[in-house]
Amino acid sequence: MSEYVLELKGITKIFPGVKALNNVQFQLKPGEVHALMGENGAGKSTFIKVITGVHKAEEGEMYLLGKKVDFRGPRDAQQAGIAAVYQHPTSYPDLTVTENIFMNHEIKKNGMIQWKQMNKEAQEYLDQLDADFKPTVEMGSLSVAQQQMVEIAKAISTHAKIIILDEPTAALTASESEKLYRIVEKLRDEGVSIIFISHRFEDMYRLAERVTVFRDSQYIGTYDVNGITNAELIKHMVGREIKDLFPKPEVRLGEELLRIEDFSRTGYFKNISLKVRAGEIIGLTGLVGAGRTEVMESLCGITRPDEGRIFLEGKEIFIKGPGDAMDNGIVLLPEDRQKTGLILSWGLGRNVTLPIISKLTRKGFIDEKAENELSKKFLEDVDTKAVTIFDAASSLSGGNQQKVVVAKALVQDNMKVIIMDEPTKGVDVGAKAEIYQIMGELAQKGFAIIMISSEMPEILGMCDRIYVMCSGRITGELSRDEATQERILEYAMEKEKREEAAER
Amino acid sequence: MAGKSGRTISAVPQKSFMKTILSWEGILLVLFIGINIFCKCISPVYNFTNVLREMPKYLTEIFLLFPMAYILLMGEIDISVGSTVCLSATVACLVSNAGLPFGIVLLAGLATGTVCGMINGFLAVKFRELPTMIITLGTQIVFRGIAEIALGDGGSVSLVNADGFRMIAGKVGPFPYLFFVVIICAVIFTVIAEKRVYGRSLYAIGSNSRTAFYSGIKVNKVLFTAYAVLGFLAGVSALFLISATYGANTTTGKGFEMDAIAMAVFGGISTAGGKGKLTGAVIAAFTIVCLRVGLGQINMNAQVILIILGLLLICSVLLPNISSALHKTRKKA
Amino acid sequence: MEKKSLWKKITGSREASLVIVLIVLCALISVKSPAFLSMQNILEILKNNAVIMIMSLGMLCVLLVGGIDISITSTLALAGMSIGMMYKYSVIESTLLGFVIAAAMGAVCGLVIGLVISWGRVLPIIATMGFMYIYRGLAYLVAQDQWAGADALGTFKDFALSNSLGLGLINNVIVITILCYVIFYIVLKWTKFGRNIYAVGSNEEAARISGINVTAVKTAVYTIMGLLAGISGALATSVYASAQPNMQTSKEMDVIAACVIGGVSMNGGRGSVLGALLGALVLSVIAKALPLVGIDAIAQNTVKGVIIVAVIILNVLTQRMMDKTNLEKREM
Repeated sequence: MSEYVLELKGITKIFPGVKALNNVQFQLKPGEVHALMGENGAGKSTFIKVITGVHKAEEGEMYLLGKKVDFRGPRDAQQAGIAAVYQHPTSYPDLTVTENIFMNHEIKKNGMIQWKQMNKEAQEYLDQLDADFKPTVEMGSLSVAQQQMVEIAKAISTHAKIIILDEPTAALTASESEKLYRIVEKLRDEGVSIIFISHRFEDMYRLAERVTVFRDSQYIGTYDVNGITNAELIKHMVGREIKDLFPKPEVRLGEELLRIEDFSRTGYFKNISLKVRAGEIIGLTGLVGAGRTEVMESLCGITRPDEGRIFLEGKEIFIKGPGDAMDNGIVLLPEDRQKTGLILSWGLGRNVTLPIISKLTRKGFIDEKAENELSKKFLEDVDTKAVTIFDAASSLSGGNQQKVVVAKALVQDNMKVIIMDEPTKGVDVGAKAEIYQIMGELAQKGFAIIMISSEMPEILGMCDRIYVMCSGRITGELSRDEATQERILEYAMEKEKREEAAER
Repeated sequence: MAGKSGRTISAVPQKSFMKTILSWEGILLVLFIGINIFCKCISPVYNFTNVLREMPKYLTEIFLLFPMAYILLMGEIDISVGSTVCLSATVACLVSNAGLPFGIVLLAGLATGTVCGMINGFLAVKFRELPTMIITLGTQIVFRGIAEIALGDGGSVSLVNADGFRMIAGKVGPFPYLFFVVIICAVIFTVIAEKRVYGRSLYAIGSNSRTAFYSGIKVNKVLFTAYAVLGFLAGVSALFLISATYGANTTTGKGFEMDAIAMAVFGGISTAGGKGKLTGAVIAAFTIVCLRVGLGQINMNAQVILIILGLLLICSVLLPNISSALHKTRKKA
Repeated sequence: MEKKSLWKKITGSREASLVIVLIVLCALISVKSPAFLSMQNILEILKNNAVIMIMSLGMLCVLLVGGIDISITSTLALAGMSIGMMYKYSVIESTLLGFVIAAAMGAVCGLVIGLVISWGRVLPIIATMGFMYIYRGLAYLVAQDQWAGADALGTFKDFALSNSLGLGLINNVIVITILCYVIFYIVLKWTKFGRNIYAVGSNEEAARISGINVTAVKTAVYTIMGLLAGISGALATSVYASAQPNMQTSKEMDVIAACVIGGVSMNGGRGSVLGALLGALVLSVIAKALPLVGIDAIAQNTVKGVIIVAVIILNVLTQRMMDKTNLEKREM
């Protein structure tokens, strides 16, 4: 019997053009909770998919209880007792909870699926997890936290000995997270080994005994949680001291540029008022689902708010669609680059000029030469790593895609206010610093910048002022000097505190 | 903050003769020439004049191809257009038989088509959750249904006075008017798709309609316009159809939508949106017309021609898929 | 409280609301024309719409995996025409053999479509449009400018007139229809294969990750569709006592419409056998009823089309309203 339930050695996984994993190793002890940490794009998700047989590694070996295994597909991993709960629940929204739990290991008799028995057992699993919903409801009608619970129930139902949780707390509130912690502890006590991926340090401290860090597709090290400090861990994760990451220049703030008053949209946000001055970077933070993106999308005409007024340079403006916002110089860099930021199949140049294409015409015809020159200039300005402007946007890395999105904003010469929604999500460390650099330079030039972000360091490092949202309301406003991680978290979880107080 | 690393990005489009030939449009052009040579070989009477004489039968469908290509480029579809042609033709015939002046007749035909198109466009824009396939499936039945009611129990109407329509069916030398109208439409639609903002918007919407919307493109307006234009050209198509048949019946225009879609797809336009060129569609349309005329002249069974068209359609999509799949596996190895 | 939840159940479920629509429709019609609800009339309606009803089952499966098939009536014509000619030239005599051949031909046609779609990755609408031309063309080729009339079909046409399978009470055609529905109900609800169809349509990527062979499921679904179209070809030949190459042209739209009315989603993953049945029934009852309530047969298609459009729009509007109430409930 080996010391480890699961051991991987020398794993290398190559995708066309990139080494997603480079000679990575990992060891999991029986009955431990093992945290796996690293920046976005460090290779954690790919690593998980290698373990679960979704991807096949080009090189390397995997041992299960000391025995060498070779998974040909997800099914093999499932049968070997490995289950994964992915970041985005990979569920079937149109099917019931029972079906989701028993997908691919249904209880059958004579080839017929035994619904009654399955529903009964599903109910038992849900009871174990203290779930507050019935197994016969449709998966699509559940909240993300509830769906996650179903995924965990599914993992338990396969009698998995190893359960992998991929950023399970990312979309959860504090009390939901607490519930999840208790479930994980219970599973651990029952002898299940757990791999826990998370960005939150509190998750790690609360649950894990050991932590393994990946960076840039490589294995950095495995540490005892009790024997390592926060700063050391961050250093391992990003590969250098974090302080030079934020080149925030000193800027003399100008006049108020944009002000929104009493923005409300049923079910999304209520009574939002905020303002931003020329040269100022403000942060809009809070937990995922607090309504930050929704407020900014309403400001930019993507959706229509039920109530609210917008003032630009002191004058009220009316925005009915994204085009109106752009005409007024309010530019949004959306969070999801692939779905709303870029047209991936297009060349970079056309992506950049898309918002201003109607201005690049001569007698109604697109002046392609001028268009190409312009996009070349702006793509070079943001230092995009590309060979020609005709390269498909899909061929770039996350960071470079983000630069193209920035170029797409900069090309709008009437721009005054720039709204960046999670600008460094999925961006590697090097490109991150470059994006902060660009932000700083934009502020110096007198643009007003609103940055939505969940990442505490960049909010603290880049912003002059910080608004914190919770459940659709602004619960706090902090200046750069006042802001600390603790105070922001306090505001971000205000609602739950209120609820807890009410319960008492 | 210009390029800190001093890196430059090329903005010179690379054009090569080989690339042009190997593009789908290039292949189609070769195919077009090949088919003409083939037809010439199998049929002694296959010549320019004869082709022109036979052509009008098929040209009325080509009208629909251009705006249909726009709609497909956006990743949408319209299967009601054959019914629109039927309804427009019916209305035009009935108005004509009511003794109204020819100008009004034309107007009635065009207006009917346009209104039908606008209804589709309105429904598509207001109910974006619904696939346009389903919307136009509904209106397909409704439009033809209304034509059936208007046509009454006989199910058909013949022109009492066909003078006006005879004028439309006129010719300049060997070229029927229809030919010129099709060519003009082809040029206009191609230029708009390639060179104008509207065309760029079509491709943007078809490639990623969310990004297009976030980038300030008025998606609804573009979509509505395309459907309205398709309706209008269905009206035009109906008028030329009457000028050939001097009447309308309940089966007028049946299958036009499928033919138009098939021509567009054969021309390299993906029904998933965002891919393909109008030039390809135009070449494909004329390739199909020539093939039909040529095979028709050697008295090949119309049904065999149908089979050939079906095979062409599937192969035109299947072969590139297979070759790219092969390419990928070869690269891996 | 009980009453409210019952009401909610009815309005919440597509099947329940369709049953109500059907009952109301029948009630209204029978007031106008009492003969409508006679057993004989009902059986007549079922028999005449058997083809649509059976093919709706296949279309249900195709739509469930997020596909579409507009070639089905061409497959139907090819299969029906082929056995028609076989009877005409006395290649075969047995009725059963005719059905087997038609079904097999249909299955092969469907298999080819399925392979082109799942292996060749051709979009379903394009692939089936191509095969719509091809199979219809082949049907004409098989016919060789002829058709098989009542004389030529011999005993085969008697199948649709006899009640032998239905214990002398119910027409054979209806028996086959019912059989198909029972089989599909069981397969889709209680077998692994049936649930895989739903899984693939609901989330293809997840299905692949959890080890379901998506390609095989898709191929199978189109093969089943073809099989049903083949059987329908034999049935149509028998019911109408003739086989012609232009059989049932553009009826595929009726089949799709039946599914859509029955609440089957065009995006895959949603829909039930009961829904498809009710959708097909509503369409056939309306078609039969219009003349009875004094609407000209000529207006039938208009009414049908308007109903389809109204149903899908109503769907969207109720969904939007539900979303809105859900949003309002969210506390802030």
